[in-house]
Amino acid sequence: MHTLVLTKGVPDFREGKVSFDEDGHLERGKTPTVMNPNDRFALQAALQTKVRHGGRMSVMSMGPPGYQEILQEAMSSVYADDLYILSDREMAAADTWATSITLSTGIEKLGVPDLIFAGFKTADGETGHTGLQTAWGLEMPIITHVIALDIDEEAGTIRAKRLVEGDVEEIETVEANMPACIVTDPEFTPTYRTAGERLTLKDLRAETKARAEEFESHLTVWNQSELNLDPDYIGLDGSPTIVAGVDPIPKAPAEREATLVSADDTDGMSEVFETMAPFSETAAEAGGD
Amino acid sequence: MAELGPKIKDIEDLDELRAILEAEKAGEDRVGAKTLIESRIEKFEADDDDDDGEIDLEEMSPADLGNALRRIDDVAELEALLEREEAGEDRGSIKRLINNRIDSIQGSDEDDTDLEIEVVPPEEKYPDLDHPTADKRHVRALEDGVYRDMWVYCETQQGELIDVSREMLGRAREMMDEYADEYGEEERVVAVLIGDDVGRLAEECISYGADVVVCHEDERLHRFQHKPYTEVFCDMARGAGHPFGREDRHDEEWRDYDEPRYVVFPATNNGRDLSALVQAELDSGLASDCSDLYIEDVVISNPVKVGKAGEKKEFKRVLHMPRPDFSGFEYSTILCLDNPTREFHPQGASVIPGAFEIPDPDPERDGEVIDHEIDLDDDWFQVEVTEYDTIEGGVDLTGHDVVVALGRGIGDDPTRGIELGLELTDAFDDAAFGITRGIVTSSYDFDAHVEEYTREDRQIGESGQVVEPELYIAAGVSGAVQHKVGCDEAETIIAINEDPNADIRDFSDYFIEGDLFEVLPRLTAALENGELDIGAIAADGGTVGGEN
Repeated sequence: MHTLVLTKGVPDFREGKVSFDEDGHLERGKTPTVMNPNDRFALQAALQTKVRHGGRMSVMSMGPPGYQEILQEAMSSVYADDLYILSDREMAAADTWATSITLSTGIEKLGVPDLIFAGFKTADGETGHTGLQTAWGLEMPIITHVIALDIDEEAGTIRAKRLVEGDVEEIETVEANMPACIVTDPEFTPTYRTAGERLTLKDLRAETKARAEEFESHLTVWNQSELNLDPDYIGLDGSPTIVAGVDPIPKAPAEREATLVSADDTDGMSEVFETMAPFSETAAEAGGD
Repeated sequence: MAELGPKIKDIEDLDELRAILEAEKAGEDRVGAKTLIESRIEKFEADDDDDDGEIDLEEMSPADLGNALRRIDDVAELEALLEREEAGEDRGSIKRLINNRIDSIQGSDEDDTDLEIEVVPPEEKYPDLDHPTADKRHVRALEDGVYRDMWVYCETQQGELIDVSREMLGRAREMMDEYADEYGEEERVVAVLIGDDVGRLAEECISYGADVVVCHEDERLHRFQHKPYTEVFCDMARGAGHPFGREDRHDEEWRDYDEPRYVVFPATNNGRDLSALVQAELDSGLASDCSDLYIEDVVISNPVKVGKAGEKKEFKRVLHMPRPDFSGFEYSTILCLDNPTREFHPQGASVIPGAFEIPDPDPERDGEVIDHEIDLDDDWFQVEVTEYDTIEGGVDLTGHDVVVALGRGIGDDPTRGIELGLELTDAFDDAAFGITRGIVTSSYDFDAHVEEYTREDRQIGESGQVVEPELYIAAGVSGAVQHKVGCDEAETIIAINEDPNADIRDFSDYFIEGDLFEVLPRLTAALENGELDIGAIAADGGTVGGEN
């Protein structure tokens, strides 16, 4: 069984890490890059598959050379057997369509796996498109917003639960043949049912952490010509969309006049407390209403 | 004095007038003279204001200015604004906004001469690659394609249109009415219905603004499925004779073009998926989760789109697709534009539910209903839906007396922050716990026991829940306008934030400047004990009756 997880790096959006310039624009150069948080769920889904069915779990990314560290992060924080990075200046500034064309080419070079896993939405671009468009390029069945997954290896089929939302929220159970592409939902939860599975999980996690120390020896790098891609059809040149501008969202006009209270101002804090007290549980119990 | 009047009447320079006023004050200081000069200055300033509308460069944010500039068509006026900025704060972002507007206007005035682009076949340009290269398989662009109309995918659920479908139709109607005014050509709003027994919704689509409804019904399409819906939509979209369409596609009377000019989808799980796959199949681009849509001409200098570095090109009738970013404070405007040698149409977008209002339906509206015919290929049905169920709830934050909300200010210790917020929530009789979008999109690591409280279903804001409690407590929330929308109907808003300049101050009744990791437990304890621990506050360096 061969699984592949797609991942990418995004700016670290945690408070205090993000850097803005004087115009209020994100300074990507100054903001550290981390693995896209939602990719963690894709990795966990792939790891669950390996724990239950064995096989090989590869992780792939398209990006600048620095993304090697993202792949290392995937290998050490969850799991990977081998790593692939598609990297070339020509691939830079790609939108999701150009990225998907590049990724599907890389996947074909690797050899199409039984299952491809991708996370839902990146923290920066947030389009939610790349996994889907890559799967379309490979003509694979797609299941998105997956929260649970079971595989029948003998039959070559998968069964998954997925979330649908509209005016109401629904859960569907779906079945498909492999090879297939799974896009995990951030609510995906891996399940390990037996002691055997949990033991295997433990062993694999220890192995992968050790392997991650020398991740370079498990890393393959492919550039544009190795992938036989036309530079005019990838990266910025191959992107239908561009970002025309990034602007601050207008501030809403001030509608209330706040009473300023310093946290160590006893009068002010007392006033705030008086506002809150009537709603407390103790007040309700005392008042009996 | 009699001479002064006529003399200053000729003076249009504010600075000169002010200098004269100063001279008068320093000299004879005549009340009459001063009044005369001052009223001339006032008149001039008022004229200036009239000219500029509300352009107050110092006061306006770049976003407000951007919006105001779109109303100005006079290049001289814009150049004057530019000079004022350069003489004033000289901000790069402001100058860029003004220059862009000048370019847009001048672009329309210039000749529409296409730049000569030399087309070199890939085999010649890149002889070292094996041709055709791997990417060409995915290229399905037209040459000199004809693109018309705005198509709107009307998603349904449990047999009815979902609200966002009505919202999109309303906005599409507005845009295409404006389009007709602007360009003198009428292009239509085309609603798309795909599913089982959805044809009966066609009239409703027309009443919300569709001119045409294209419909395909089949019981196998009862539930949304990725491949069949994508194939059906693209088959509808591609007109007869399309190089990548079905060979046996017949000509249709109601349309005579290759592909839609614009395609709009809802940003729901299925809608967003469909938008991505349709645009992949049509080899074009899209922006997802848009908070607005509008059509405008635009001048672009991006060399990939223009064909040459250092040149500009005007693109007409471009769908502008603003979408908010991770922080809620910025939005990017995405454009889908043709490359010189590769067309990227239709221009695609998916729209955040709630971004537009549901319009009042007009049952008198006329429209055409087209039953689309296509044989569904068995091979398309690769994923079978075996079961489905509606989930009860999710979490409803509405209908409570109190709501406690946390924002990205918990970053120093995210799990502890959530715990403190939950503890405060529990100290109230009837309170709900919510979060901002900033937490949903953050890469914070939460411990398992609090993780369920950090999910999107607890998000408060424009793209989340809107609450109207009597008391709203927002800790570590900076106050982006999308969050404000979710809570500003609350009776009383108490904000806790370390940053005294946080935007939330503008819509709070109380703003506690402090560290939520200290303030929240204090408030929780106070509620539990029935009284505030004054001693503890004073001990921390405050004084009774201290600073406000």
